[in-house]
Amino acid sequence: MAGDFDICVIGSGAGAGPVIWRLTRAGYSVVVLEKGPWFKREDFSKDELACCRRSHYTPNLRDEQHVLEELAASGGWQATPAGESKRDFWNGNMVGGSSNLMSGYFHRLKPHDFRLLSEFGPIEGANLTDWPISYDDLEPYYSLVERVVGVSGSVTPHPRQEPRSNPDFPYPPTAEHPVSAWIDEACRELCHHPLRVARAILSQREGGRDACSYSGYCGSYGCSTNAKGSARAALIEPALATGRCDLRPDSKVYRLESDAQGRVVQAHYYDAQGEARKVSARIFVVACQAIESSRLLLGSPGPAHPDGLGNHSGQLGRNLIFSAGGAGSGYFTYAKLTPQQQDQVRTLGPFVNRALQDWYVIDDPRFGPHPAKGGTIDFLFAHPNPIPLANGVRWRDGELLWGKPLKRKLERWFTEDRKLLFEVFCDWLPNDDCFVTLDPQVRDKWGSPVARVRLGSHPHDQRVGRYLAERGQEVLRAMGLDWIGASVSGAPPPNLVAGGCRFGTDPQQSVLDPDCRVWGADNLYVSDASFMPTGGSVPYTWTIYANAFRVADIIRQQLI
Amino acid sequence: MTLRRNITNRGDVPALASWREQLLDRRRFLLGLAGGSLSLLLPLAEGADANALDEAGRWRLIADVQERLFPSEPEAPGARELNALAYLQWVVGDRNIDAQERAFILQGCDWLESLSREQHGREFIALDAERQEAMLEQVARSEAGENWLSTLLLYLLEALLTDPVYGGNPDAVGWRWLQHRPGFPRPNERNRYRAG
Repeated sequence: MAGDFDICVIGSGAGAGPVIWRLTRAGYSVVVLEKGPWFKREDFSKDELACCRRSHYTPNLRDEQHVLEELAASGGWQATPAGESKRDFWNGNMVGGSSNLMSGYFHRLKPHDFRLLSEFGPIEGANLTDWPISYDDLEPYYSLVERVVGVSGSVTPHPRQEPRSNPDFPYPPTAEHPVSAWIDEACRELCHHPLRVARAILSQREGGRDACSYSGYCGSYGCSTNAKGSARAALIEPALATGRCDLRPDSKVYRLESDAQGRVVQAHYYDAQGEARKVSARIFVVACQAIESSRLLLGSPGPAHPDGLGNHSGQLGRNLIFSAGGAGSGYFTYAKLTPQQQDQVRTLGPFVNRALQDWYVIDDPRFGPHPAKGGTIDFLFAHPNPIPLANGVRWRDGELLWGKPLKRKLERWFTEDRKLLFEVFCDWLPNDDCFVTLDPQVRDKWGSPVARVRLGSHPHDQRVGRYLAERGQEVLRAMGLDWIGASVSGAPPPNLVAGGCRFGTDPQQSVLDPDCRVWGADNLYVSDASFMPTGGSVPYTWTIYANAFRVADIIRQQLI
Repeated sequence: MTLRRNITNRGDVPALASWREQLLDRRRFLLGLAGGSLSLLLPLAEGADANALDEAGRWRLIADVQERLFPSEPEAPGARELNALAYLQWVVGDRNIDAQERAFILQGCDWLESLSREQHGREFIALDAERQEAMLEQVARSEAGENWLSTLLLYLLEALLTDPVYGGNPDAVGWRWLQHRPGFPRPNERNRYRAG
């Protein structure tokens, strides 16, 4: 079938970049419709107001929002528009998507993450299932990401190390903070196996991308050296150089039009001027981030897809997942350290890059009689942004503090100590109370229904999270930190979202086939994190990249 | 605006606590607005409309409140040294900021002025520092009143700690006071955030 382009990709983040890169290099024409603007390297700076306090990289909630359903205290689900609660579920909306703003903690899934149901058995109330592919199917693509996106690290042997086809990372580790060695020491005292976290950040210059400058401000910020392996820097800019990529920023796709056979024929979008436009292609690829991908398919019914594209079995939008877990912290009190240690703790720039996966599987009678799926503990310093720290200072026991008492407290909080964190990543069990639908009332500025998201979590997640948070606190205690604490809850982190279009072998139980093609629409793929039926216990980005490279190969086969 | 991105790289847990706190703030805040009435904010005062300030009068009052909230000291910058008033004027002029929030900041001035006239028979800015302070303590005892002050404080702390390109924190006076080390490159006139 002829079209304006061979491939039309909707979105340009980690799920889209590999498809764009691979297929333009293979000689195909690719049009990219990205809702957000096109920020380039020189548009990024370490500007707290722009990154984190205004909607500079995300839509204004007045224009586009979500409706979020939470369990009310009285029982029952209470829906609140984000415009009212100011609970912002957007991540980076721009060319390259939120991969521009990631921290780039890169972990692979492990073989048993692909077989959660078979390995650990069912859990009441959780929609567990095995993946239709195995770790071995994805391994070559994890390796490809290391090279093409650029992953810096060095393999640390540890009991939970997943198999690798190449012995080590293509880029040496990023510079490490002096405190990393202290974490190692404490972990070894406790007989744990600290591992060096790989980062999607170039430790060495490569092509047009410079090495990391170690500004100390990485996560939440766009990268000013292009060292960070965003889809923009690593994949889309090289794709543009082929001359076969037509990148259209400020282009909001609102509907995919399909024919009587169920195939997608056109993408309808609004351009920067608000004009309705359309584009045709042989293959369409949706990668708008999990919630928005489900929303676009739900909002695109056609003659062969009366309830939305790929929704024959009512599975579309269901089994949305986040990353469960929590965080803990302790403080280095400068007054208790030697002058040399103080200087070491104050170091700003190099990364801590330490994690523990000793409990990726929990085999501990205190937790349960059988081995259970656990997770990852990752160590890092508290984010250096000063305004949230100051905002916390203004309250004392729930009362507002101001004047000189506030100023004295600010001086103490900013100068007397430094906070070390650990973050816990564990599986968010897919369940019947976590899903995306279209809101019956609230619309975006273009008139399309917004996504309504129910945010239910399974209580098991918090049990696992608390077990891991205990282990994390033991490490902080062994380090001699002050004010140690942790917090685990069932609230979802909006920047770690997946699912909604799970892939599988049974069309009645999934939205996508094992190739991430929409059941009943043989020229439509979903290549972002939506495909994941379970999420593993690490941040998703490496897996999103790897799977999108896999999907790109499948599309190339289809086009030949 | 979410705080989640600011707090951890994972974006979750301390973040969680803070957005919950923020949400609570927001609910209290909207509660104050819902009535829009004097009695909700400052239960003792009445007749706010009669005492409504003009634009310039409101900013004069806010300047005094800011001075109480963040006083100037020889060794530590106060609202004046931070250009906090001009910064807040820029915030209130930004149409990207929630319209209710902007209205609330300005309405709070009329409410406080009204209370001052009722209790002291004088404009708020004519009161001495001690009386002004006592009034703020009184206002802070109501939920919406506390919310108004906390909103002013929020933008005061932004004026203290955002990049000087936005008008607050001139010559990095706030960063230097708190020994804060900014990241590089810093924003410039071309790539900074623009008010709507």
